[in-house]
Amino acid sequence: MFNYILRRLGQSIIVLLIVMLITFTLPYFEVQGILAPAYAVLGTHANPHTVHVWGVQHGMFRPYWVRFWEYIDQVFLHFNLGHSYKQNLSVWGIISLYVPRTIWLALSSLILTVIIALPLGIYQASRRNSTVDYVATGTAFVLYGIPAFLLGILMLQFFSFSFLHLPASPPSGVAPWAMFTNPVGFILPVLTLTLLSIAFLSRFMRSAVLEVLVQDYVRTAKAKGCSNRRMLIRHAIRNALGPIVIILGLYFPGLLGGAVVIESVFNYSGLGIQIINAATTLDVPTVLGITLLVAILTLLGNLMADVILGLVNPRIRIQGTR
Amino acid sequence: MIGRPEPPLDHHSLVTENLANTEESDAVVPMWKQRTRIFLHNKLAIASVMFLILLVLFCFVGPHIYHTNQTNQAAALNVTFNAPPSAQHWLGTDSSGFDELGRIMFGGEYSLSLGMLAGFITIVVGTIYGMVSGFLGGITDTLLMRLLDAFLSIPLLFLLITLIAVFQRSTVFLIVIIGVTGWFGNARIIRGDALLIKKLEYSQASTAMGGSKWHIIWRHVFPNSMSNIVTVATFSVADAILFLSTLGFLGLGIQAPQTDWGTMMQAGSIQQPNGYWWEIYPTALVFVLVIVAITYIGEAMRDAFEVRLLER
Repeated sequence: MFNYILRRLGQSIIVLLIVMLITFTLPYFEVQGILAPAYAVLGTHANPHTVHVWGVQHGMFRPYWVRFWEYIDQVFLHFNLGHSYKQNLSVWGIISLYVPRTIWLALSSLILTVIIALPLGIYQASRRNSTVDYVATGTAFVLYGIPAFLLGILMLQFFSFSFLHLPASPPSGVAPWAMFTNPVGFILPVLTLTLLSIAFLSRFMRSAVLEVLVQDYVRTAKAKGCSNRRMLIRHAIRNALGPIVIILGLYFPGLLGGAVVIESVFNYSGLGIQIINAATTLDVPTVLGITLLVAILTLLGNLMADVILGLVNPRIRIQGTR
Repeated sequence: MIGRPEPPLDHHSLVTENLANTEESDAVVPMWKQRTRIFLHNKLAIASVMFLILLVLFCFVGPHIYHTNQTNQAAALNVTFNAPPSAQHWLGTDSSGFDELGRIMFGGEYSLSLGMLAGFITIVVGTIYGMVSGFLGGITDTLLMRLLDAFLSIPLLFLLITLIAVFQRSTVFLIVIIGVTGWFGNARIIRGDALLIKKLEYSQASTAMGGSKWHIIWRHVFPNSMSNIVTVATFSVADAILFLSTLGFLGLGIQAPQTDWGTMMQAGSIQQPNGYWWEIYPTALVFVLVIVAITYIGEAMRDAFEVRLLER
């Protein structure tokens, strides 16, 4: 198990280094090249000579690999995601308030999704072609066709403007755990993100359980007189959990991407709103910092999924392949 | 969610079967005829195709019949802002005074054509990458797949926003970045095909007869993974339209005076608390129908290429 985790960790670090190579290299392609921060500090009409001097002073002309090494050093050892020259603040200083808010949004909807979608998928698989199955499948297909922002708009229309009159956006400028002390404002964003995820996940759970139900050992268990309930719990669900954990790991980036849209629809101040604002004002270092942070979060999510997979499925931690 | 789940991978194994059965099926009814028949048998798919054709006509021919001014609001100074549907403006006007029905046509031109082009780039890049990776194998495959992992670990929307922030924004550029970031899943699927096909007898025979790698990729791997490529391409177009509209909704998409459905829905959502339903729901309905139609066509194509449904 230890070796397995170590190997996965090594792979994740390599992938992270490639991601960092990308986020480090992108500013070279900006319109003003690597001197873009100089123009941000000195103004767009700055004297080219002054800009050049600024570049020399800040080590912008040092060799590519030297600067990349410094970048890695800053990110890993000092947890410095970069410096926003437009706002004259460190990127972490800009986003640190919003990171927990986005994580809470994603995490709470993920937990809700797992609580709802897994039993739903199992129920659908065990009662295939029943009314519940048809309704759930139909709803899932409709939800696939609706983009995240449109679902958000519809939720707002139904639960905020037309009926129920729930608050359209969560209170801003409050501590991230306000989700638990004052949950009313958070209902709509979390619910929308959860609905999107349920549509995605319950289908996978359904097909994973269905796949297990046609296996030989299930038939054998039936032949030996195993009850339906016992068969479902002892055999089907346990064996279907593996694929689901993988899907959850792969789904994590989609969840964070969905969070961006949901934050924008419900004006939920989190990483998503921050990155959109930064992109609109062409604050490239902030955008890159947030992207790197999100990539790290994604890699951590995948790593966690793989470790859990190793725990539930002994074949994987022994062979190390999936 | 953003983008749809990848299609189940189980049809990979069918490629082998497919090839094994080619001769027998050819003897009875040509394969493409059977496939067309299976496709035509699917009523929903036919309806989807008809709907898309009508919609393309609506967006590209409609403006020549239903004349509206969509570029310069000052040119028609007696415009009414946020006017409800009337005989003059069938679907009302939006917050800038543009006729909403004409706006749907105008935005649709961009949504559809950009989506198509971006989807096309997606499938070209994904196919080439997947085939090279799967066919060459070994260290190249490992390197290319690790690189793919790195791309996949940045959530797609964040990657798109990053690219938009770094490079200068233009319509052509939007097509390019949506195309360039959308192929990761496609590459995986096509790679699976390439891995499978290169182990088959005819590829090996070609190698034995001195066929070069590129010759085999071009003459054997590419034609035989065509079924997957076409299916994946259909879904890619739907995804590209979705991403374009999502970017538009976030205010990072097409810039005025051009517009697309996503940007229109964003503008409409601002007026939503005022109850101006005509600024958002007609666009949303057309949009969702387009996505659903393309998805159904993709599903029908997958069925048509499914060998188990062919007559033997």
